[in-house]
Amino acid sequence: MLNVDHVRKDFGSVHAVTDVSFRIDDGTTFGLLGPNGAGKTTTMRMILGILVPDGGRVTWNGEPIHDRSRRHFGYLPEERGIYGKMKVREQIAYFGKLHGLREPDVSKRVDRWIERLGLSVYADRPCGELSKGNQQKVQVACAAVHEPQLLVLDEPFSGLDPVNADVLLGILNEMRSNGMTLILSSHQMWQLEDLCSRFCIIAGGANRVEGSLDELRSVWPTRVVRVAPPSDSVRALLENVAGGQALDQADGAIDYQVPSTTDFAALLRSLVASAPVTKFEAIEPSLREIYLRAIGESAA
Amino acid sequence: MMDELGTVYVAEVMRRIRSRPYIIGLLVVVIAIALLTRLPTMLEGAFNGARSIVLVGDSALVARAKPLLTDDYKIIATLAGGPIDDAVLKSYHAGSAVALQAHSDGLHVTVYAHDPSGTHRDELREALLPLQLQLVTHRSAGAVAKITAIPITVTTVASKFASAGQASAARGVAYTLLFLLYLLIIMNSQLVMSSVAEEKTSRIAELLIASVNPITLLTGKILASATLGFLQLAVWVAAAVYLGGGSGAGANGQADSGMLSLANALDVLTPGLVVAFLLFFIIGFLQLSTMFAGAASLINRTEDLGSIALPLVMPIVFAFIIAIAALGSPDAPLAVICSYLPLVAPFVMFARIAVSNVPLWQVALSIGINLVALYAIAILAGKIYRVGMLLYGRAPSLRQVWSVIRS
Repeated sequence: MLNVDHVRKDFGSVHAVTDVSFRIDDGTTFGLLGPNGAGKTTTMRMILGILVPDGGRVTWNGEPIHDRSRRHFGYLPEERGIYGKMKVREQIAYFGKLHGLREPDVSKRVDRWIERLGLSVYADRPCGELSKGNQQKVQVACAAVHEPQLLVLDEPFSGLDPVNADVLLGILNEMRSNGMTLILSSHQMWQLEDLCSRFCIIAGGANRVEGSLDELRSVWPTRVVRVAPPSDSVRALLENVAGGQALDQADGAIDYQVPSTTDFAALLRSLVASAPVTKFEAIEPSLREIYLRAIGESAA
Repeated sequence: MMDELGTVYVAEVMRRIRSRPYIIGLLVVVIAIALLTRLPTMLEGAFNGARSIVLVGDSALVARAKPLLTDDYKIIATLAGGPIDDAVLKSYHAGSAVALQAHSDGLHVTVYAHDPSGTHRDELREALLPLQLQLVTHRSAGAVAKITAIPITVTTVASKFASAGQASAARGVAYTLLFLLYLLIIMNSQLVMSSVAEEKTSRIAELLIASVNPITLLTGKILASATLGFLQLAVWVAAAVYLGGGSGAGANGQADSGMLSLANALDVLTPGLVVAFLLFFIIGFLQLSTMFAGAASLINRTEDLGSIALPLVMPIVFAFIIAIAALGSPDAPLAVICSYLPLVAPFVMFARIAVSNVPLWQVALSIGINLVALYAIAILAGKIYRVGMLLYGRAPSLRQVWSVIRS
């Protein structure tokens, strides 16, 4: 279990992280979200022991992060690179050995990763000769070849074409099924929404919200009700919902924002009684909406 | 930690040993050694320099002059007389023609040369002085030799060497070793620097330091570079022994070709001097390479390497110049002071040890000061390296670097 407890990090006069806390249970896929400059990368670096917090503490299975913990961690940084002249196989094996793997285990794992990522034809070629997408696959293999207990991926999908993004998504899903703890940061909310079971949104170096998507939604103050067809009687009825507000009309349906405390069953019964209704949907807020609201509050 | 260090060390050695700069550096010096040991002899055969002369004059006079000149000149031919012109010099490929005439007031010498600066007038006068005395005083060659053989006794005072030849050879060895020390330290420190810069600019640094402790990473790099430095040294020494093995030694410790001979070098190359060389190589290399690594972690473009390396190399260039001067005056106050200064001492103290009897306490103090300095440099460079490897974008200001050091 990873516990990040009120960590703080300053770089001179720049307060990169002021107060971030969250807990990640084993096997959880965790989304760390925030705008540029929010402190995500600094938080990740503190988790991995690359940076030492100026305040607060990070513990892994109840112990502070130390050099031995690193062997159980994997990291794909946002600013990622590669040894251009080193061969693909050598490069992945090098990172495996840095994490304590030894022959013959390391060779077996390297072969498995090369095959898994479709890099077999490039295995004995210098990494510098590979396309950017294939280089990124090599970097993923370098980060995960030792099958870490905790894998931290900072913007793992950036720079990947849709096909390679799907390959990576498949690999991450497989890791999740195998019980690996994952921390992901990405601006592609839809990918995180599908992948992660818990989230933390940080802005200005501090927590804004934290929890599972259901928990985040449960505190969201409104829902959108979508009703079709958009007849006058439907409109009139929705206008009467306390706190309701008309939104855009689209695809032959009408959207209304209503308080989350609304009795949706009673509202549906009223609508059906007053007019022919072919569609009724109470739409939950998306992760993107939750994110925008959270960082908006921070900006305010 | 040792596992990781071993992994980094092996990877660095394998990566660097196959790199073009290392192979080129190794071969260039081997070629330079070959040229320095073989070229003078080859050139001597190919070109007749100013010391290649044609001796002109009465055959009896020439016969008396010849033994006096053979030590310093190569006599290509002797001529009884006749006009000396450009054609004569060219036909014998001679630097000059020396015409001798005996007169009542003594010897008259006329030198015919293309280049008047190459006539070595004073040396010629000195060489021919016994003949002049024979002609003026009408004494035999043996009698004149007795007169000119002034007995000179050299008594060494607190000298490391038994003879002038040995002292001269020691100076030659010290000069060669100093040059090797300079090359090894500069080349291998720059290898560390380029390795760090490559990892920084290729953006692999963060992936690396998430996998291994930055100090372990840096230590592995430096140890690998030191190993490659020793390998270079072994190759260069082997090349020097192989290529210089056949050269003969002159009376003053110099080979006939002007190079230090292997036999004379081995005579003064004591185990103590070898240990001092290796010790000061390690100290100097560790000091400079650690500084280079810290500095390289701050750059974001390989083009910036030169500008950041220049100020760091300056103390080494200064040290080399002072060390060369110290070979002539090993106990001069400046040489003594510089033999304690970090970065400078590995060169200057080694130079002093090579040519004089440096008190043991001075050597111990120098090593002590430099080890403490090395520790301080390692702490500072380690801090800079740890943070520098994560800094991307604009190069940090001196103020930011200072705040990292203070943290």
